[in-house]
Formats: sequence, structure tokens, C-alpha cells
Amino acid sequence: MPLRFELSKCTGCRLCELACSGSHNGAFNPTKARLKIIHEYTDDGIVIKANRCIFCKKCEEACPVGAISNNGRWMIVDHEKCIGCGTCVKTCPTHVIYLNEKKKSIICDLCGGEPKCVQWCPKGVISLKEKVTS
Amino acid sequence: MKNSLMGNMLYVDLTAGTAESRPTPVEWVEKYGGQKGLGTRILMEDFDPKTEAYAPENKVILTTSIMAGTPVSCSAKLAMTTKSPLTGGITDGSVGGHIGAELKYAGYDAVVITGKAKELSYLYIDPDKAEIRPLTEMKGAGSFKTEDHLKEILEDDRVKIMAIGPAGENLVKYSCVSSERYRQLGRGGIAAVMGSKNLKAVAIRGWLDVHVPDVEACMKVAREAHINDAVIAEENDIYQYGTPVLVDMSQESGLLPTRNFQEGTFEDFKNIDGESLKAVRKNKKACFSCGIACGNYLVDGETRVEGPEYETIALGGSSIGNGDRRKLLEFNARCDDLGLDTISAGGTIAYMMEATEKGLHDFGIRFGETDKALEMLEKIARREGVGDEAAEGSKRLAEKYGGIEFAIQVKGQELPGYDPRGSWAMGIAYVTAPRGGCHMTAYPIALEAWGELDPFTFEGKAKLVADMQNAQFSKFSLGVCDFWPVSSETLGRLFSVTYGGDWPAEKIDTMGERIFNLQALFNVINGRTRKDDVLPKRFHDEILKVGPPAGKPMTKEMFDQAMDEYYEYRDWDKEGRPTIEKLKALGIEEKFIQAYSKAL
Repeated sequence: MPLRFELSKCTGCRLCELACSGSHNGAFNPTKARLKIIHEYTDDGIVIKANRCIFCKKCEEACPVGAISNNGRWMIVDHEKCIGCGTCVKTCPTHVIYLNEKKKSIICDLCGGEPKCVQWCPKGVISLKEKVTS
Repeated sequence: MKNSLMGNMLYVDLTAGTAESRPTPVEWVEKYGGQKGLGTRILMEDFDPKTEAYAPENKVILTTSIMAGTPVSCSAKLAMTTKSPLTGGITDGSVGGHIGAELKYAGYDAVVITGKAKELSYLYIDPDKAEIRPLTEMKGAGSFKTEDHLKEILEDDRVKIMAIGPAGENLVKYSCVSSERYRQLGRGGIAAVMGSKNLKAVAIRGWLDVHVPDVEACMKVAREAHINDAVIAEENDIYQYGTPVLVDMSQESGLLPTRNFQEGTFEDFKNIDGESLKAVRKNKKACFSCGIACGNYLVDGETRVEGPEYETIALGGSSIGNGDRRKLLEFNARCDDLGLDTISAGGTIAYMMEATEKGLHDFGIRFGETDKALEMLEKIARREGVGDEAAEGSKRLAEKYGGIEFAIQVKGQELPGYDPRGSWAMGIAYVTAPRGGCHMTAYPIALEAWGELDPFTFEGKAKLVADMQNAQFSKFSLGVCDFWPVSSETLGRLFSVTYGGDWPAEKIDTMGERIFNLQALFNVINGRTRKDDVLPKRFHDEILKVGPPAGKPMTKEMFDQAMDEYYEYRDWDKEGRPTIEKLKALGIEEKFIQAYSKAL
């Protein structure tokens, strides 16, 4: 289940990246966050992109050793099986998978269902709600 | 113990072409904090305050907030400190955006730049290398183009850049530095000092960890501060409007600078106020780690700008008789790209308009001629024709052509957007700010014109201003953005969970007072005394006619008495100089006190 972003409200503060890296890595480092906020000035205004796991499962399909699975809500990486080949990193269409210092694949696990980014977002941009269809 | 200090400062010698890392002295941080305080301390080390601003020995110092890179709200600030070519004293300014945190992630608490490169260059910094590289192809280019170009040649759209425009290259005395397009810093001509060193830009990219003593504790305290201090409240005016919310308030209080502070109300204020600007707003924009989001990205016709901030509206709007929103946005965007301080540029042009109208000298520009003002910005930045003299600022123009009483500046630096006749304590704040005419050192206007205090008396104001200055100096050193009205207690708590140790409010306040006095020491060595702590005569001799300040003279005698009280409260002498005893009591280094005694 991907995180939902109401991007028109996003101010680009990247507190989500800090909450993510701080809670998972024991230090603050946006390059180790499992999501990335990118903003760009355009003629029409600031365009913000929120790169995050979209639960496309391409990493799972591509993993050569079957280290990646999912529980129907988020991806799960078995670090015992992961060989650090980086195939998932290259496959990820939103570029949010990386290998940690031990060469193990790191993928968003929605903090086990209670994402820190959702809690920290100062403008209520991020949620786990299903998209409302009219 | 791990903490948010990276532990390294980068020393760059542009003459020798070297860049080396040195440990960040912990005792400097604990006495002076980061940003403003650390920048001041670094400038003082092995430095003669009398050094010429454009001498290769002058330092351009970048210092981060010690809390930058952590989730403490609006803590990702970067300050620059140098000796000012405009005021001859110390000057520092700070910028938000993302670059302050990026420097931490690159591994540094500070960058200290001296020397002069043999050709136009930029400094590239990442955790693996620090290199001085040529950038001659950007000679004369605006800051926007320079940033785009660097991102292109570095093939990195996430690199953070600060750059000077043609104004800095041409040593305009009030040229400023642009970062991430629309974030500016450096009143007092910091960009000109960069220009004198042939330093066009600094590009920073980082990927290192920023540590704190206890991540969970840090996140808990930072999060509580976000919520309990109302930083992220939706109804915060700074989020709803940003600083343009102040336009209507200043108009109401009769202190909106109009036609070079001849008046305090502007007939077209509604065209350039918060509501008018909101109508063309495309986005809200925050700096890194900021829960407030004061920034506004506007699109009006062909003009795009993040801003304008209140000061730009006052000085590039009402004070030059400009009530056209689109032209105001253009004024802002052009200053940002050329690398001009909007306050001093507007203030200088307003002086030229009045001098022309009064027949002192024909600068070829009058109030309301905004198209000519826009052209003047280009001339100033390139020092073409009349722009060459205007690049020196209003004080120097007035010394040549007359009208010093309406050159609206203190110590050569043009005043921001609050007529002190509508908030008398603001007058004390203006004349005592170490960097010259400035609204960042103390902001008593919030308590006077917009608060409970009587704006038209000096009673109790000397103490009020001094206390506010000390608090601001701590805040900008430890440090968070001005838009968070944080208490010393909260600031201390945040510093404890990022840097570590015990930081009670008194320790925080003393740090601010120490930094303020060290900056004063620097300035006194440069010959500054009470005679420089004066407002333009207009504010004493001319009385406003409309609104709350109408008919309320703020005489020089009243002002002088308030200044006596101010110096006394600071334990300074009657000439406005810190006493040796005071400097010692504050724990300022003996070697600095010795140099100071010799200069007295």
C-alpha cells in the first residue's frame, strides 16, 4: 500500500526524510531516507515530486535470490538472503531503494504500519488512507 | 558522545589554492554557539579588525547552525560573516533553504575562506573533496544562471549552491549572496567581499550522518516543540501570508516607509499587501526542516519570484512610490538575480529620487518612476553611469551631493521597513545593531506598534532593546529562524538534545550578550563610538502627519537620554563602548580584550 501524498499542500521541508532516517538509522541523513522529496521551479510554479515506494513489487520480481517479498501492505527484505547485488536498486522506478553499509537492501516498510513520515509531516500531506473514489 | 557538531571546519586559501580541514574547537562552540556566534569568533581569530574589507586577508566565513541537519524546526540555517565594505564594521547574515543542512551532511560546521583566486572561481565541497575550480565562463552572469550552469556541469540537480551576481563581482557595497535562487543573505556587501576574492559561487553536496546524543529523545523534544510552540499551526499568519502580512499592519500604525520615509502611509498599499500578493501565489515553500513554511512563490504575468518579503515591499514598493504589484515582483526578482540587497538598493534609489525632487542633484529619477528604478538596478549592479556612484550607497551619495538628513541609513547601511517614529524602541535597535541599520537585532515593534507597549515613549525601552538583542543573538547562533518566537528555555532544551549538555536559559542569554559584546569590540577597534549611533536627522526634526505617530516628536534630546540608559544597562561607557570589566565578566578571550584596550 503506497503512502498517499496530497502534493498541493507539500512545502518541501523534508521533515519526512529526517523522521524516516532518524527513526530507522539512528542518525539524520536524507540520503538514507526511504522516501525523497524533490522540488523544482518551473514557469507554472514549484513542482514537487514525492518519490516513495509505490508498492509496484518490481524489486520482488527482479531479486535474483528471492530475498524480497511483501505482506500485502509493504515490502519485506530478508537480509539473511540478500546478497547486496543492487538489482532492486536499479529496478526501482522511484529510486528509493538503497544498499546500507552492510550491502543489504533497504526498502520502505511503512514503519510496520505506523509511518513516522505521516506523524511528522507538519502540513498533513502524507497519509495511509486509500484514495477516495467519487 | 556523539552530537550534532560535525567536528570539522574547512579552511580555504584561494591565493594558495588549498583547502584543509581543521577540528572545530569545542570551547568556541560552547561560548559562542554556531552561525552568528561562531562566525564572529572565527573572524576574530588571528585577525586585525582594521583589515580592509577587500584585502585578501579578510575572511568570508560560512557557519551552520549547530542544530542544522536535525529535525529541530527551522534550524537549517547558514550564516556568513565578514568585515563589511559598506559599514566598515563586522557584518553577518543568514539564509535558510537547504544549504545549511547540506554543509553539515558534507561534514563541516564552518568554511573559512581567505585569499584571492587568480581567476573567477567556485568552491566545490563534498565529504570526499574540497576543490577550487575555475568558473570564468560565468563572468557577469546572474545568480540564477550561475546556479543552473553549476548544476549542469556538476551533473547533479541536488547540489546546493550559493552564488553572487554581477553586483558582487563589481564590488557593489550592498551586494548580497543568492542561494537556491530566491534565498538571499548578506547585508553590508558580503557578496562584494566574495567578488574581491574572485569567488563566484560555493557548491555543496553531502551524504554524511548528523548525529545527536539520543535520537529518540531528540525526536521527542523536537516534535513536542513543533506542536506545543505552535510552529506548525495552520492559522499562523507567517504561513498564511508570510511577511507581507505586515504591510497592512505598518500602514495602520502609520510607519510604512513612503517616498523615502517622508510619510508613513502609502495610498496604494492595498496593491502590494499580503492579500494582493496571495492572489498571484502559486505555492507555499518551506526551508529544510521547517514546519512553518513562510515562503511564497508568485507568478504574475512573465514575472516569477519567491517573495517579496515585507522589507522588499517597503523599500522596493512604498518607499520609492511604487504601488504596482508586478513591478514590485520584478524589482525583487531582478535584485535576486543581480545579487543586490533589496533594502539597500531601494533605500539608495529612494534617496536619489528625493535628492532629484529637492533639486540637490539630478539623478534622473523621481518617486513613482519604477521602470527607471528597475533600469537603475541594472546600472548599479554593473556600475554603469550613475549606477557607479549609486553602488556606494545612500550615505556616500549624500556626503557628495547633500541631503544627509534624508539618507535613510545607520552607519552607511540603509534602514529596513519600519519608520522609527512609529515605534521608538526600533530607533534604539537601529542605531545599536552591530551591523548597522538592521531589523534583525531586535524587533521591539512587535510589542510597541502591534503590542501592549506605548510606542511613543523611551521609558523602559533601553532595557527592552538590549534584552531582545541578547536573545536574538543567542537564537541566531544556536540557532533557529527568526519566525519561531522561541524562548531561551526551549532553545536550551533543543540544544541539549542535539549538541548535548545542560543549557539553562541564563546560559543561553549570556551567550547572546557575549556575542553582542564581541561584535561591539570588533567595531570599536575600528573606531566606532557613540557618534555613529545616530538616526538620520529626519526622524528627529520632521513629524509625521498621519496615523498614530502624527504630532508626536521624537526629539534628539529624548533619544540621547535613552541612549545613555542603553549604554548604562549594557555596562558600557558613555561613549558607547564596552567596558573592560564587562568583557572580562562575559568571559571574552584575554587576547581580544588586550587588543581592545590598546585601541581605546
